[in-house]
Amino acid sequence: MKYLALILLVWFKTNQTSQETYVCKNAKISIYSKAPLEDIDAVSTKGTSVLNTATGDVAFSIPIKSLTFEKSLMQEHFNENYMESDKYPNATFKGKIQDKIDVSKNGVYPVTAAGVLEVHGVKQNRSIPGKIVVNNGVVSLASEFNVQCKDHQIEIPQIVFKKIAETIQVKVAATYASYKKPNS
Amino acid sequence: MKFHQKAVFLAAFVLLGLTGYAQTKVTRDSSATDSLLNSLSADDKADPVLATFKSTRLILTETSETIKKNNLNFLVIHRFGDIAGADGGGKTLWGLDNSSDIYIDFEYGLTNNLDIDFGRSKYEQLLELGLKYALLRQTSDDKIPIALTVIGKTGLKPYSVATNVYDDYTNRLNYFVQAIFARKFSSRLSLQIAPSFLRNNLPYPYIVGNEKNIFSLSAAGRFKITKCMGIVVDYAHPFSSFRDKSNSPKFYDPSGVGIEVETGGHVFTLNLTNAQAISPINYLADTQAKWTKGQYRIGFTITRVFDLNRKHKGTFK
Repeated sequence: MKYLALILLVWFKTNQTSQETYVCKNAKISIYSKAPLEDIDAVSTKGTSVLNTATGDVAFSIPIKSLTFEKSLMQEHFNENYMESDKYPNATFKGKIQDKIDVSKNGVYPVTAAGVLEVHGVKQNRSIPGKIVVNNGVVSLASEFNVQCKDHQIEIPQIVFKKIAETIQVKVAATYASYKKPNS
Repeated sequence: MKFHQKAVFLAAFVLLGLTGYAQTKVTRDSSATDSLLNSLSADDKADPVLATFKSTRLILTETSETIKKNNLNFLVIHRFGDIAGADGGGKTLWGLDNSSDIYIDFEYGLTNNLDIDFGRSKYEQLLELGLKYALLRQTSDDKIPIALTVIGKTGLKPYSVATNVYDDYTNRLNYFVQAIFARKFSSRLSLQIAPSFLRNNLPYPYIVGNEKNIFSLSAAGRFKITKCMGIVVDYAHPFSSFRDKSNSPKFYDPSGVGIEVETGGHVFTLNLTNAQAISPINYLADTQAKWTKGQYRIGFTITRVFDLNRKHKGTFK
C-alpha cells in the first residue's frame, strides 16, 4: 500500500516533468534590415526550440545557412562575408522566462526572457520580450527584437561600397508540441 | 509496521527533495534543455557547401560554380600583349598597347544547377555556346566530399582562313567537354581538378601531324587572404604527342597566377598568364608563349551578376 503510494508519487512526478517540456522543430525566423540600395530580408523555418513551462527555460537554435533570401547572391554574401557561417553555423538563444505561465489556462502571456544571445560566435546578455499563447493545450511563442551588427562583431568588409544597415530586426515564431521521450 | 511507514515517508521526502533540488539547480536544468535542443537540431546537418568559388572563372578554367536561376552573369575578359621579350618592353608599354585576346560572355541560370552561356573571343573570332550543369554539390557533413560540375561547349570559327579544307562548314566547328571536381577545404582554400576533351574538326593550328582530339587536365585553386580578396592559380596540361614533339612551333602548358577581389556583385581578377587565348578551345590547342621568354601578359576578368528575378517583394511579415 505504502509502496504503491511511493510508486504513484514518483510516476506522477516524472510524468509531470515530461508534460512541462515542449519542443518545436520548425520555428520560423525572419530577419529584415532596411538598406539604402535594397532591403535585406530572409526567412527560415528550420529553427529548433525547447521550452520548459515549469522552470521557464527557453532555448532557440537556428542554422544560419537555412535563412533563405530572394536573391541568391545576397544569401551567398550574407553567409560568406558577414555571418561566416562555416565558422559559426548557428545562432542561439538560451535563457529563462521571468514570468509564470499556466498551460492549463487559455490566454496570452506577455513574457520576458533573460539569457544569452549568441550570433556570429559572440555572446550577449539580453532581455528579450515576447508573448506566449496557450490555446487548448497548444503552446506557441512569438518574439521580435533587434540585433546590432557591432554587438556581435559582424564586420562589413570595407571593399563593399554598398552601405548595409547596422541593425537587423528579427522575428521568431514557434508552435510547440509536448515532448515525449523517444524510448517511453 | 511503524518502521515501514517511516521509511516510506522518508523515501518520499528524499525523492521530493531531489526533484525539487533538480528544478532549482538552473545549470542542471538548462543543460538538459541544451542537450534536448542539440538532439533536435542534429538531424539536418547536411547543407550543401556554399560558394566554393566566388565566380564562374578563375584565370583559364571555369570553376564548379554555376549561375543561379534567373541570374545573368556578364563577363569581360582581357589579355594584353607580352610584357617582356621581343614584343614587350617599353615600346609597347609592357604589353598594354596590345590585346592578344578579348572575350565577352553572357551566362544565364536556367535552374539553380544549370546555366547556358554564349561568348565571343577575339582570338580566331571564336563564337561559343555552352551548357554547364552542377551534378553534385559538396555537403558540409562530407557525405559528398566534392562538387562535380560538367561543361559542354560548341565553338564556331565563323570566318574563312586561307585553306581550302576550311570551306567545309563542319571544319569550323569545335567541341569541348569538361568535368570539374572541386572541393572547398576551408572557407579560405578551394581547389579543383578538371579533365577535359577537346575536338577540333580542323586541327588547330593547321599543321601536318596535328591532332584533332586533345585530352587535357587542369588544376586550379583559390586561397583567400581576406574575406573579399584571394590569390588564384591555374594550370592546364594538354596530353598531345604532337605538341610534345613539335619544335617549330613549340608549345607550352598554359598557366596563370592572379589576385581575385570581390566587391559585392562584381568579381575582379587581375592576373599574369602565358596563354594568349582565353577560351580553352584556343589555349589548349595553341599556347606557344613561354614565361621565361618574357611571353607572359597582364590580364583581367570582370564579372557582374544581375538578378533578373521578379521585383523583390519581401518576406518579412
